[in-house]
Amino acid sequence: MSQPQKKIGDTLLKVEDISLSFGGVKAISGVSFEIKEQEILAIIGPNGAGKSSMLNVINGFYHPQEGTITYKGEARHQMRPHNAAKQGIARTFQNIALFKGMSTLDNIMTGRLLKMRRNFLWQALYWGPALKEELAHRERVEQIIDFLEIQAIRKTQVGRLPYGLQKRVELGRALAAEPDLLLLDEPMAGMNVEEKEDMCRFVLDVNDEFGTTIALIEHDMGVVMDISDRVVVLDYGRKIADGSPDEVRGNKNVIDAYLGVSHD
Amino acid sequence: MLYREAGQFKSSYGADQAVFPIAQDRWFIAAAAVFAFVVVPLIADDYWLQAILIPLLVYALAALGLNVLTGYAGQLSLGTGGFMAVGAYMSYKITTAFPELNIIVVFLFSGLFSAAVGIVFGLPSLRIKGFYLAVATLAAQFFLIWLFNKVGWFYNYNPSGTIDAPPRAMLGVLITGAEAQPEVKYLTALSLLSVFALLTKNLVRSSVGRAWMAIRDMDIAAEIIGIRPLRTKLLAFAISSFICGVAGAELFALHFGSVETLAFDINLSFLILFMVIIGGLGSILGSILGAAFMVLMPIALTNLFVGGLGMQAVTAKHTEFMVFGGLIIFFLIVEPHGLARLWQIAKEKLRLWPFPY
Ligand SMILES: Nc1ncnc2c1ncn2[C@@H]1O[C@H](COP(=O)(O)OP(=O)(O)O)[C@@H](O)[C@H]1O
Ligand SMILES: [Mg+2]
Repeated sequence: MSQPQKKIGDTLLKVEDISLSFGGVKAISGVSFEIKEQEILAIIGPNGAGKSSMLNVINGFYHPQEGTITYKGEARHQMRPHNAAKQGIARTFQNIALFKGMSTLDNIMTGRLLKMRRNFLWQALYWGPALKEELAHRERVEQIIDFLEIQAIRKTQVGRLPYGLQKRVELGRALAAEPDLLLLDEPMAGMNVEEKEDMCRFVLDVNDEFGTTIALIEHDMGVVMDISDRVVVLDYGRKIADGSPDEVRGNKNVIDAYLGVSHD
Repeated sequence: MLYREAGQFKSSYGADQAVFPIAQDRWFIAAAAVFAFVVVPLIADDYWLQAILIPLLVYALAALGLNVLTGYAGQLSLGTGGFMAVGAYMSYKITTAFPELNIIVVFLFSGLFSAAVGIVFGLPSLRIKGFYLAVATLAAQFFLIWLFNKVGWFYNYNPSGTIDAPPRAMLGVLITGAEAQPEVKYLTALSLLSVFALLTKNLVRSSVGRAWMAIRDMDIAAEIIGIRPLRTKLLAFAISSFICGVAGAELFALHFGSVETLAFDINLSFLILFMVIIGGLGSILGSILGAAFMVLMPIALTNLFVGGLGMQAVTAKHTEFMVFGGLIIFFLIVEPHGLARLWQIAKEKLRLWPFPY
């Protein structure tokens, strides 16, 4: 499905020699790769390879001990979550991290928080500029709700939704920020075939229609081969391959890693 | 009354965003307002107004304040009594220093002092959560009470150690002091509660409120969306303490008339917390229902036990404690959204009536 003539642009994000450890545990060791504008990059690798940690480094939730992160041309040693959000990085989580007590609508509205300007005094009045702003954002959120086909659960408290729908709402919340870089941590894990197909379609459409750059972690090789432009493979915190889906599929290191050949 | 959502289609998001999007809700609220503002002052006697309804309204305001912090922003606080004491003592200081100042303005300024104190004691919330934060707010409670006891300046060195509400009028009508009419005090408390309930409702359905709930439900995700935890929590502390401060000033000036720090001790903190739990965490209506329940239930129980069953007053009191304890446990375990949720379920049943499926 990936279209070779897609307009993949310059480097949006570059991580260089990132190392991250927790106490004695090395989660990432000297990993470098790039994400180019408009690209769909898949990060794959066995459990515990450091994939989620890598996303956490990119949006500033983990701070690597070594390395540089260059985002939109600006190099820094580490990101801060708030700055990452402000500069257009949004994400979903491996274990859904929705606001369980809030409705679908409110969860997605929260995703637009950084775009809302009125202070609390205006909001307490719910009038004039504050109301206008609220309605304008509501309209954008309704477009996302239509896009993800979740109109029926608009007012439902998300804690009561089935897993697959929660994943969809979480994607909606990330999309609400209108990100330049979207990080998806196992967006299709635990889904049935039909739900996976829907999610693939959403990911491709987001990439296509809004030109959003996407980095996603995924275990289903069929999905990875279908939707990604490029694949980075991690194993034991190291990068063992980086290339087009076809290149990676034939790579010996990758085959070994997945077959569990012992490391020395 | 037929309570229906069916058939009421909203043609715009504006209509859907109204405070009460359902027509029957609007009628109900209008009827309740007429009843509270017009009928009650006409039919209630002084005892009902002074001993029951005024404290009910004041406690409801305090519960509203605590609900902002605990119910919406998820920060457990046991310092409510302390923050209310700040409001009470500052209103006393301000109104004795500036007797000409409108008493409502005095209440609001007292709220500002309380908000400032709330911010200071909210600072630890960046680092500590849940039980530990509750202990930190407990420290605020004890410190503030100690302060108002210890430093004579706060009670103008009154030898009795109490503060007394001086008579203050607005538009020629006495609002505070012994001479003020109970009806006037009642309407003042009711007006303030209505205004604050509406403003708070607006806040919690705006982005500030969503940021509070986001921090409450999943602080990591909130941060990654771009919510600043400290700023968001401190705003919750400030607004919550502001409202509690105004409630404290009212408790002093409208209800008791003369108080010492004992009125604001830890028991008050717990009382307000129980109101929020029983009424419903994260519900404006719940704050009011909780206060009403906690004020009216003991009276009803006493009437039932002593009047109806001929029980001894002491036994009745003990039974009352047991009933309360049981209810708090019930609401904590079975229905954390409290009376407000029960009310909502009842409405949902009605909404579908007569076709339950
Ligand atoms: N917050 C943390 N504290 C301690 N160890 C962690 C933490 N997060 C990840 N790790 C460790 O880092 C390694 C990589 O984990 P992770 O990035 O979640 O892997 P993946 O997403 O590829 O399955 C694992 O050994 C994991 O135990
Ligand atoms: Mg992972």
